[in-house]
This record gives sequence, structure tokens and C-alpha cells, in this order.
Amino acid sequence: MKKQSITQYYRKHRKAIVTATSGLLYGGGWSLGYLTSFEMASAAILVLATIVGGYDIAKTAYHEVTNRTLGIKTLVTLAAIGAIVIGEYWEAAAVVFLFSLGSYLEGRTMRKTRTALQELLEMTPDTATVRRDGELQEIPAREVEEGEVVVVKPGGKIPVDGTVVDGESAVNQAPVTGESVPVHKADGDEVYAGTVNQEGALEIRTTGAGSDTTLERIIRRVEEAQEAQSPTESLIDRFAKYYTPAVIVLAIGAYAVTQNAILSLTLLVIGCPGALVIGPPVSIVSAIGNAARSGVLMKGGDHLERAGKIDLVAFDKTGTLTKGETTVADIEGFGVADGEVLSLAATAEKKSEHHLADAIVDAARERPTAATDGGATVAQADDTDASLQSVPDPDDFDVVAGKGVIAHVGVSGEAGGSSDESDGGHEVIVGNRALLDDRDIDIPSQVTDYVREREERGETVVHVIRDGDIIGAIAMRDELREAAPGVVAALRDAGIETVMLTGDNERTAAAVAEEVGREAGETGLRKRGGDAATQFDEYRAELLPEDKQSVIEAYQADGHVVAMVGDGINDAPSLATADVGIAMGAAGTDTAIETADMALMADDLERIPYAVKLSKATRWNVLENVGLAVLTVTVLLAGVLTSYVTLAAGMLVHEASVLLVILNGMRLLRY
Amino acid sequence: MSNTTQFRVLDFDCPTCASTVERALSNVDGVQHVEVHYATGRVEIEYDDSVADPDAFAQTIENQGYTPQPA
Repeated sequence: MKKQSITQYYRKHRKAIVTATSGLLYGGGWSLGYLTSFEMASAAILVLATIVGGYDIAKTAYHEVTNRTLGIKTLVTLAAIGAIVIGEYWEAAAVVFLFSLGSYLEGRTMRKTRTALQELLEMTPDTATVRRDGELQEIPAREVEEGEVVVVKPGGKIPVDGTVVDGESAVNQAPVTGESVPVHKADGDEVYAGTVNQEGALEIRTTGAGSDTTLERIIRRVEEAQEAQSPTESLIDRFAKYYTPAVIVLAIGAYAVTQNAILSLTLLVIGCPGALVIGPPVSIVSAIGNAARSGVLMKGGDHLERAGKIDLVAFDKTGTLTKGETTVADIEGFGVADGEVLSLAATAEKKSEHHLADAIVDAARERPTAATDGGATVAQADDTDASLQSVPDPDDFDVVAGKGVIAHVGVSGEAGGSSDESDGGHEVIVGNRALLDDRDIDIPSQVTDYVREREERGETVVHVIRDGDIIGAIAMRDELREAAPGVVAALRDAGIETVMLTGDNERTAAAVAEEVGREAGETGLRKRGGDAATQFDEYRAELLPEDKQSVIEAYQADGHVVAMVGDGINDAPSLATADVGIAMGAAGTDTAIETADMALMADDLERIPYAVKLSKATRWNVLENVGLAVLTVTVLLAGVLTSYVTLAAGMLVHEASVLLVILNGMRLLRY
Repeated sequence: MSNTTQFRVLDFDCPTCASTVERALSNVDGVQHVEVHYATGRVEIEYDDSVADPDAFAQTIENQGYTPQPA
């Protein structure tokens, strides 16, 4: 047993032990030679140091050669053997020892980078308490079946993805979304594995367990992202493939010309592809890992490198700068009761999936006893839910993208979808000004005044038209996110232009843009003085979805590197067009993650300045690392050619540069 | 039948080391596809389980001087 544990200990710490032994022997051999005249003994110990430290290196070098992947260990082995052959025992031992020490430290620091994500996975508990056959059982979390009910105590970690079926609590979702503020969860709400139940007991019906949870999926994606090579990396990798053989050829050539063995062996050592190939991956893996822990999914090194060049961020207004919870603020009937306007509009909009449509339909459902308004013009199906009004289906309806809907309502029973409307129903149009213009509908000044007044408050107004006459208007409001002004100000302070894109009309857009600007001014984030500094550089209104794409293309044509922030579903085309597409609230939706280059797990706008700054920092970090690597090799090469640098010194500087590059990259883990 | 297994190697100390392990693993009988990532230390092996012996994978990685851990 004892022997077993010693073997295990040795296996686990083999690199450290080998390095230390080689170092001690090296020190001993050197002192012996320096202090005494036992030259033979000193040489023997130094050779032993070389063999102890070099055995593993030579073994890997052998594998490199047999697998035809010439690398650094082949070069080091050649250099050490060469040094021994020409009798430079001290150099041989020093090279091997310094290399072992360097790669031991490199391995250790890289381990930190490699395990940064594992910490996230460890957030998921190993066991789950499930209700089976009426009693509670504790089972491994991976074995929970879909549909089973899991009970999570207050303070416990949630072991599965699922839907709350009983209980109410605040859940800290930081591991998944990066949000530090707990989210209230009750019946019907979705919860994620790895998040922490902070207050009350929850019963959760499982939708995913084991490797099929949101957290696991995110981590898999993050790893794929870390492994995807950025352009810089693949360039360097291609270069490195030819580099090592070239160094060997160069060393042989140098020996042939100068007959100076030390010189050509030193060339082998300093020619090792070190900092150059290690630097960029470490920077990128660290940055992506850091982002993941803050709830930002970066899709890969190339996206990150592009994001580092962003100089303009375009925001979609609805659902991005605003909360995306549109509600009806006001209804105005023109010669018709408000209730009738609402219920007609609701019927026309019922099948539409637009967020304005949802707001209208919800308002119609919640309106108390709308029937007394005489609002329903048609025979409607009788209510099933006492507290909610039912909204009848339209006979047919058409969406005019970015403008509104045209529907036919009130035709009784027979096979719906008839395009022939001459049978007693009404044509109802719910839409914006553009749709009215398309249809040549007159707009009385009374309507225009109302619309202007509401739009100046930042509300969105739709007109309701029955058989060609405007019978009313509905004003809707979508509150600005509290974070929006601060985010715009932070980006501007970072020297990035901001733009707001919206399908809304000019006046509403102006009102919202002004609100953002005003509040940004009030938060005191202004640094450059003058109001303009905290407002959008520009806003574009009345954009159809495809217009947003062309606006982005126009900015790109002007030489901007454009990021577009949107919800990832409606804005998918513009996210794809932008240099960097950033999707919000992506935790639950795989489509958003697919289309975007960067995905914010939560609806947390404040992550955007962070993500943009992190990308910039990463880009600089990669450049620093490449610069440092090139500088090191150049200085070393000059040193070798002028005979200032020999084997040991070359190795020392080389290993130091590699470590420096790794440590520099790892700064991004704590950015 | 094709099967997939993963390891994590935390002690890769140079990018070439990862490529060397990748080459070595792809020479193991029955291995159809191997990916070894230096940056994350992740090793993914796709193999024909009627031919390949999964124990041989960990052994191969160890032979190259690295410590495989189950992922």
C-alpha cells in the first residue's frame, strides 16, 4: 500500500521531481567543476544531470520524429546531444535543466487556463432529490429522467434544467447568465442546472439532466470556441510547421560555413518555436473563459479578433435598449368607442407574432367587460375564462412587413381564408403611417395631432382602419432598460460610436434617443463635456428589417467595423451582416447562439461595454505576445551571431519569454 | 459501431506536444478520428469499438509523457 502511494506520488509529480533532480545534479556538477579540480567527476555529474532531465524530453522527441511532428523537444534533444559530443557538458546540463523547469512552469500555468471552465461545471451538484413513487429519493443527478420532479431545498443548487411546478424562490443564475442579481422564480418559470436556489423550496419538473443541460451546452460551445483557431493562430501554426525543420537546416548550414559547433547548437535552442506559437492561444482561451464566466459567450478566436476592432455599435431599439415588454398606453377612438377600436384591432392582430400585436391582444383580453362598449361587431365565441375576454379569430390576415396587418373580420362561419371579401365582413387594417400611405387612406388632422402627441413621448402608435376609414389609434409604450443610458455613455467613453436602429417612426425614435441621452447625462458619466457626448451619434428610424441590413452595410462601406446588438431572432439578418453580431438573452434559445458571434446569456445590456473592451484588450494582448516573441528571437539571434549568447543563456531567455507570454495572456482571465 | 470518448490532458507544455499525441492516437488500431487541442487540453477520439481497445488510448497518451484524465 505504501509502495503504491509512493508510485502514485511519483507519477503525479514526475515532472517536478525530474526537474528538481536534474537541477540539483546540475548545481552539484557545476560547483564541483568550479570549486575543485575534479573535472572528470564534475563532467560525469553534469552528464547525469543531462540524462535525468533529458530522458523524458528525448522520449517525446523520439515520438515527434516517428510521428513526423518536429517540435521544440527534438531541437532541445539535438542541442543537448550535440553539446555532450563536443564536450560542453555544462551547457548540455543547463539547457536540459532550464528547459525542464520552463516547461514544468508552463504546464502548471496552462493548467490554470484549462481548468477555468471546469469551475463552472462543478457548480452542478452530483446528486438530486427526486420524487419517485410518492417518496423522496436521492439519486445521481445524471440519472434524473425527463419529466421527473426534483425537489430543491432553500440554499441548494439546482441539479437539472426544468420548469418550476411548485414553490417560489429567488434563484441566483450567475453560473449560467453571469447576472449577480437573483431572479424571482415561480410556477411555470424555467430554471437551469448549476444555479442556486436562495430562498424557498422549489419543485422542478425536469426538462434536461446530465449532459443535456443549458450549462453543459454552454460549456461545450465555449470549448469549441476556444479550440477554433483565430486567423492569427492558424497563420502562426502553418508557419511553425516549416519553422522547426528550417531551424535544423539553418543550424547545419551554419556549422558547414563557420565550423562553429556552439554557434549552430545555440541556433537550435533559440530557434525553438516558443512564445510565438503559445502566446495567441493562451490569450484567446483566457479571454473566452473569462467572458463565459461573466455570461458572455464568444464564438471563437476569429470573432474575438474582429470584435477587438469594433468602432461602431448599432443597437436595435425594441427589446434591446427597451425592455421589450410593450403595453398599450392609450386608446383613442375617432367617432367610435375605445373598446371597439381595441377589440377590432385585437381580432385583426390575433394571428400576428409581432410584439405590438401581442400587446394589443393582451390589452383586449384584460379589458374589463369590453362587451358593454358594444365593441364586438361580430358573433364571437362565448367566454370560457371569466376574467379574460376572448378575442375572435380573423377570417384571414396578411402581414405587411414593418408596416402592419390587413385582415378581414366578421364573416360568419364558412370555410375561412376566402380571399373574396364581398360577403358582409369588414376589412380591418392596423398599421403605421407608411401602410396608410400605401393604401391612400386620408388621415384627418385630429388623428395626426393625437399621433404626434403620443410619439413625442416615445410611444409607438398604430392606426386602426375599418373599411377604409380611420376609426381609432392605439398608443403603445416599451420602457427603456435602466442600463441603456449608462451603456451608451460607457461605449462613447471608450471611443466607440453608437447608433440606434428602429422600425419605429422618426418622432418616437427621436424621443427614445433623447431619453437615453438625457439620462446618460444625468448619470454623470459624461467626461467630455457637452450634451452630445452622451447621446447616440445617430439614430435611424422607420427601418424595415432589410433596411437595417443595408444601414449596417453602409457603415461598413464607410470603413467602420460594426457590431450589431439585437435579440438574435428578429434581428438575425442584421446580426449576420454586422462584423460582430451580438445576441441578447440567449440562455434559452439555441437559434440566437447559432446566428450570433457573441451571445449575452442574460438580457444584461451592461455586458456589452465589458465584452467590447475585453475584445480590445485581447487583441492588444495577442499583439503584445507576438511582438514579445519576435523581439526575443531577434535579440537572441543577434546575440548568437555576435557570439554573446551561448546555449544556456539562449535557453534561459527563450523559456523566460514563453513564461512571460503565458502570464501576459492569463491576465485576461482576471480582466 | 462507431463510438466516441474524451480525455482531458492538463499538462501539455507545447502545441507540438498536442499534435504528437494526436498523431500517435490516430495510429492506434480502430481509431477513426482524433482531435487534440492544446489550448483546452481536450482529446476527442472517435473509434470503431469492434476493433479498438479504449484502454489503449489512455496508455498511448501516457506513453507520450502526458497524464490523461477522464473528461
